[in-house]
Amino acid sequence: MSLINITLIVYIVASIAYIIREIWGSSGAKWASLGLLILAFCLNLTMVAERSIKAGHPPFSNLYESLVFYACCTAFIYIIFEFVYNFRIVGALASILSMLILFYATLQDDTIRPIMPALKSNWMLIHVVTYMLGYAAFGIAFVTSIIFLVVKPFAKKGNESEDGREILPRNFDRLSYKIVAFGFPFLTLGMITGAVWAKKAWGDYWSWDPKETWSLITWLAYLVYLHTPLVLPKMNINKSKASVMLSIWLLVAFGIVNFTFMGLSYLPSAEDSAHVYGSK
Amino acid sequence: MENVKQNKTPAVIGIKKDNNNQANQGQSDRSERGDSNKVWQFFCSVKLAVVIILVMVVACIIGTVILQEKTLDEYTARYGYGLATFFKVTQLNNVFHSYWFSFLLLLMCANLICCTIKRWRNTILQTGFVLTHISIVLILTGGVVKLQLGIKGGVNVYEGKSVDYFLTQIINRQGKIDYIKKSLPFTIVLDDFILEKNEPKFQLVSYVKSKDRQKVLEAVIGKRQKVPGSDYKIKVLDYIPDAELKQEPINTSDTPENPAAFVKLFGSEKITAEGWLLAYGHNSYDDRKQNIRIEYNWYPSQQEFDNAVNSIGTTQAKLSIAVSGKSFDFPLELNKTFKIEGTDYSVRFLQYVLNYGDRRPLEEQLPDNPAAQIEINGAEGPETRWVFEKFPDWEKMHPSKYKDLKFTCDGIANSYMAKNTVKVLQSSEGKKTIVYIKDRRIVEAYPWELEKKYTIGDTGHQVMVANYFPSFDFKKEVVKKSDQIGTPAVFVEMEGPNGKVSDWIFSNTQYATWYSDNNLALVYESTGESVKHFISNLRILDNGKTVAEKSIKVNDPLEYNGYVIYQSSYDPEAGNYSGLQIVKDPGIPIVYTGFGILCFGVVFIFYIKPFLKKKQKKEVKVAEG
Ligand code: HEM
Repeated sequence: MSLINITLIVYIVASIAYIIREIWGSSGAKWASLGLLILAFCLNLTMVAERSIKAGHPPFSNLYESLVFYACCTAFIYIIFEFVYNFRIVGALASILSMLILFYATLQDDTIRPIMPALKSNWMLIHVVTYMLGYAAFGIAFVTSIIFLVVKPFAKKGNESEDGREILPRNFDRLSYKIVAFGFPFLTLGMITGAVWAKKAWGDYWSWDPKETWSLITWLAYLVYLHTPLVLPKMNINKSKASVMLSIWLLVAFGIVNFTFMGLSYLPSAEDSAHVYGSK
Repeated sequence: MENVKQNKTPAVIGIKKDNNNQANQGQSDRSERGDSNKVWQFFCSVKLAVVIILVMVVACIIGTVILQEKTLDEYTARYGYGLATFFKVTQLNNVFHSYWFSFLLLLMCANLICCTIKRWRNTILQTGFVLTHISIVLILTGGVVKLQLGIKGGVNVYEGKSVDYFLTQIINRQGKIDYIKKSLPFTIVLDDFILEKNEPKFQLVSYVKSKDRQKVLEAVIGKRQKVPGSDYKIKVLDYIPDAELKQEPINTSDTPENPAAFVKLFGSEKITAEGWLLAYGHNSYDDRKQNIRIEYNWYPSQQEFDNAVNSIGTTQAKLSIAVSGKSFDFPLELNKTFKIEGTDYSVRFLQYVLNYGDRRPLEEQLPDNPAAQIEINGAEGPETRWVFEKFPDWEKMHPSKYKDLKFTCDGIANSYMAKNTVKVLQSSEGKKTIVYIKDRRIVEAYPWELEKKYTIGDTGHQVMVANYFPSFDFKKEVVKKSDQIGTPAVFVEMEGPNGKVSDWIFSNTQYATWYSDNNLALVYESTGESVKHFISNLRILDNGKTVAEKSIKVNDPLEYNGYVIYQSSYDPEAGNYSGLQIVKDPGIPIVYTGFGILCFGVVFIFYIKPFLKKKQKKEVKVAEG
């Protein structure tokens, strides 16, 4: 069995372990689930490493390579957060998310091709890594938003704790916020290093190319998310309604992330773009 | 209590109500009249910020959905005249450089500056907020400087030549692309242009048609592997780094299943051409220069054979026209005009070709894509059209004036006959005749025997049938030409529902090798991008003196006097010119300062500030305790 299939299976098993842990809540299940996810992450990382050795260049030169790395980052960010907060059920969905991304990678052309000269740059390396970490964080925020929207109707009142460590269903919106706040600097850094790289390679830091424009749209979408909490109280929208609106916005924003990442070839302007996967 | 609750909302790390009030008071002190206070409030509000950002999102989406900065003709062709005009008026054809988008950015700057002033407080915790907001203003300012003072263009330089100008592209008032020549304050000399290629690499790729899936397989000898996503199995049996396919003609039986003759053509006693002619395959040879054609035909019955001996065996080319349910046939005679009965149309033949698009003279064309050019005269004036023998529906896909007329043509390839045609005929009963036709007339017919030369009229040529195979076939053999990588080939065994099949797959064909169920295909191809680097050795001359020198490549430009010279492209055919991009952007220092501040700002807000806050809280607790 190939490494990619094993990794996919371990992700699924990890996800099941998280569900078991959520239902029975035993401490054994806690370590088992986290352990399995860490194992899946390591396998995924091995894939990234193997690919970069085989190809002889950083493994982000096409959609297949980027997706494998994206899956890896998603698991990584989740694991970090699990050490800081008590995520529980989020782990099940995060693991599934990584699995789906990796599965989507298996559907792509995995041909190793020499990279074009413009991709040979250290800026490109920082650019992609920061972007992927940012995207991965938004993926986790997407998961917490879904959980928030699903469990909200069932949540009882007056069940929250003060220190923010014990996150109960009602507080998944806060968790979403914290992860977005963690990911946003990465997105900003990714965008800026991308601009600096573009300047070096193509002579202009910003040329309103579809890829650039959509990465700006993504950035603005999360910027709106970060600013609206300042507006909503002034508009007589109560906290609970505001949380629902913001969570829904995060779902939309993650859709935008994925469109920017993979969907641009559907745009009529893609044929002129230098950066869209698979356009050439 | 109030404060605790506020901290819990997922706000941009907490705003405190009392702060807000303070700020408002401070402001009302500053401005006397309530009106200007309201304006000020408007420019300070986050509400405005959110609205601006959302409008920008929509603008950006529009800017990628509608093609930008194209010529007016392109818009008209794509969206129709009405929409094209609408786009032009609303500047939706150039969103990012439109007046309304600039206004939006201006509004954003005002918003950023105002809110920053309003919330200005001399505390460390505010650092990030102030820095991020200012940095965005800086970046936009840098962008304005670029638009006002920057230039960007390109120029192609040939090896050993120099330039002191470049071209910039603009869309002019008529909505067409224009190039403007701009002179440079120095001269660029291209001393050398180097195109580095990658070492060729090859890979075995599988394609499963029913799944529409392409996958790379491991080309390891002796390893049996599954084609991903299917039940096929593949095993590479052999590999040759530089292979050649040798085909040896053989005869497989004495029953005439695939009759073939080895024919030699002599000109003044020397062989000018020789080869196998297959009765059921490639059965003719054309010497276009001498205007000689040799044909080999084999007939299973005596009657057919006799017919062939007594006729020249060509058809007359014809043109068929279908109009309002009726159909008309005309012989293809050049420069004759025909009226189509019952209509106002008349048709004239202008020319015909054997291979459309082939610029060689007619005699040298192979009959691959025969076509006739005609002129139609009708109520709306003349229209010329090409009619293709093999593509009768061509006109459906191409706009034409007279849509109700449908043309087809037939027999162009067969009607063309070389001045001298030699037919080598043979029947199942063993009769053998050579028929010599000149100018469409049979000149002579005589029996032939193997290994005997026959003179072709007064052409000065002779023909000979050197060999005859009743059942012709090729024995294929793959041989190794050298040990270097040349044309690599792999010998692959494919296993599927129809059993095991093995075949050589060459890296130099553009055709795939299909498994017998026509669902699995394999190709052995060289991997993508073959260019590794392209490098220009540039020298800058200022007043005749060399002032700068650098080998530039993509990602590594040359800077001189505020100008930056980038390697952007190269001559894809001959590889002897270098495409340079020339950029001058005085806004860069401002923009990069903005970038730096923005990076630090976001890191501060989301990482440093929460940390500082926690520390402060602890200190407060300690103090209280
Ligand atoms: C990287 C980008 C940005 C970051 C990190 C950022 C961050 C912040 C933060 C942290 C605050 C709250 C300040 C506080 O609580 O003391 C804030 C407020 C504000 N931001 Fe931004 N911002 C960004 C971009 C923008 C942009 C592009 C706009 C305008 C279109 C904008 C408009 C505002 C406004 C108007 C406020 C004031 C809120 C108020 O007065 O209540 N920001 N921003």
